[in-house]
Amino acid sequence: MINNLELEKKTDEELVIIILENQSAFSCVVNRYKDKLLRYIRRISNVGLEEAEDMLQNIFIKVYLNLNEFDDGLKFSSWIYRIAHNEVIDNYRKRKVRPQLLDIDIQDSQAKELAGDTNIIEELSREELKHEVSDAINKLDLKFQEIIILKYIEEKDYQEISDIIKKPLGTVASRMNKAKAELKKVLANKNFS
Amino acid sequence: MEIKNLDEKILQQLQAHKIKPKGRWYFLLKNYSIWFVGILALLAAGTAVSIMIYFFRYSDFGMRGEINKSWAEMLILTMPYLWILFLGIFVFVIYYNLKHTKTGYRYPIWLIITVAVSASIFLGGFFTLIGWGEELDEMLEKQTPVYGQMMNPHIAFWSNPEEGRLLGITSSPLKDNEFNLVDKDDKEWTIVTREEDEKFMIVIGQPIRLLGEKKSDTRFEVIRIMPMMPGRGFFKHMGPGRPNMSPPMMSPIPMTR
Repeated sequence: MINNLELEKKTDEELVIIILENQSAFSCVVNRYKDKLLRYIRRISNVGLEEAEDMLQNIFIKVYLNLNEFDDGLKFSSWIYRIAHNEVIDNYRKRKVRPQLLDIDIQDSQAKELAGDTNIIEELSREELKHEVSDAINKLDLKFQEIIILKYIEEKDYQEISDIIKKPLGTVASRMNKAKAELKKVLANKNFS
Repeated sequence: MEIKNLDEKILQQLQAHKIKPKGRWYFLLKNYSIWFVGILALLAAGTAVSIMIYFFRYSDFGMRGEINKSWAEMLILTMPYLWILFLGIFVFVIYYNLKHTKTGYRYPIWLIITVAVSASIFLGGFFTLIGWGEELDEMLEKQTPVYGQMMNPHIAFWSNPEEGRLLGITSSPLKDNEFNLVDKDDKEWTIVTREEDEKFMIVIGQPIRLLGEKKSDTRFEVIRIMPMMPGRGFFKHMGPGRPNMSPPMMSPIPMTR
């Protein structure tokens, strides 16, 4: 029997092998990803906390059910984010309405990076900048919103984004450019460029 | 934003509902099924290409002067539309299945479509070399006449006596420069040949194409006689054993390709 401390030291990929033999080891994956995934769900779907928690539970159940599908061909984190992405899309389709928009949980550095990439004049205070960028992201289409969040907030590289949203690298790159152009347009309308 | 005891809640759910990970075999089966259907679609697409090559080989573009049709008219009249439609469907199935393999999403649509079309053409070329398209077309026409009418544009193209094109099987030996022919609608024609024509041996019951002129409702004067290639299976289901047909025998009839 491996204790929790030893489990913590294992890589995600090693954990998958252990979980297939020992169900309780799954708690380690849950604890490792629950906060990241909850933030991700709330950032791209803007659902309330309770609904986000329900979605998160569904995601982990699906992860457990499909553990044998995971292989070393991609990162475990990309695989689990892909399941979360699909859950959000399914939820979005079921509701068929755009949820109430909330402030995206965005860091100073991330707001600055986005502002830099979209040529926003940085005359705003940190809090203002964060709020305006978050508000602008919320105004984008879901597909643009998600790609911006994955790149700048979740800090995934293009290959990981490609694996999460299951699109070719070229599509990820072109969608990113369009998303940035859209973001720039939204910010321009707010007189920030 | 932190959830407490989520791991415990989830483990409880897993135990309460006796949830177990799906077996590895399930994913292997799913993956193999995707490849299997994709390969079947590729074989079907290759077959469609092979049959289309067979049709185009005998599209008689070289005779468009004698037929009085432009290149474009010939193309429109002899285009195997339904096979092109089927090829499109098979290519889509190949694309869909490749896209749904484990790493299929990494490749752009244009690349997958190009690979699917190229593989179909390559396989179609190979099937043509081994005679698969020709054999299958003949078999399908022989067993299901409606296939020939729907899928083979040559049958309709050559069944136009008003424009000097007639198609059918010989039903009597050549006598006094005349022989009988039964067309696709089971109508019997008297075919008048020219004396100066070169003589070839032909088997009664053989599908042939005629280029000439309609002289009356049942009489057709022939300028050129050619064997029927795509579509011959269609006439084979009539067979030389039809009640109004003479027994199989050889008779000299002028014939050119």
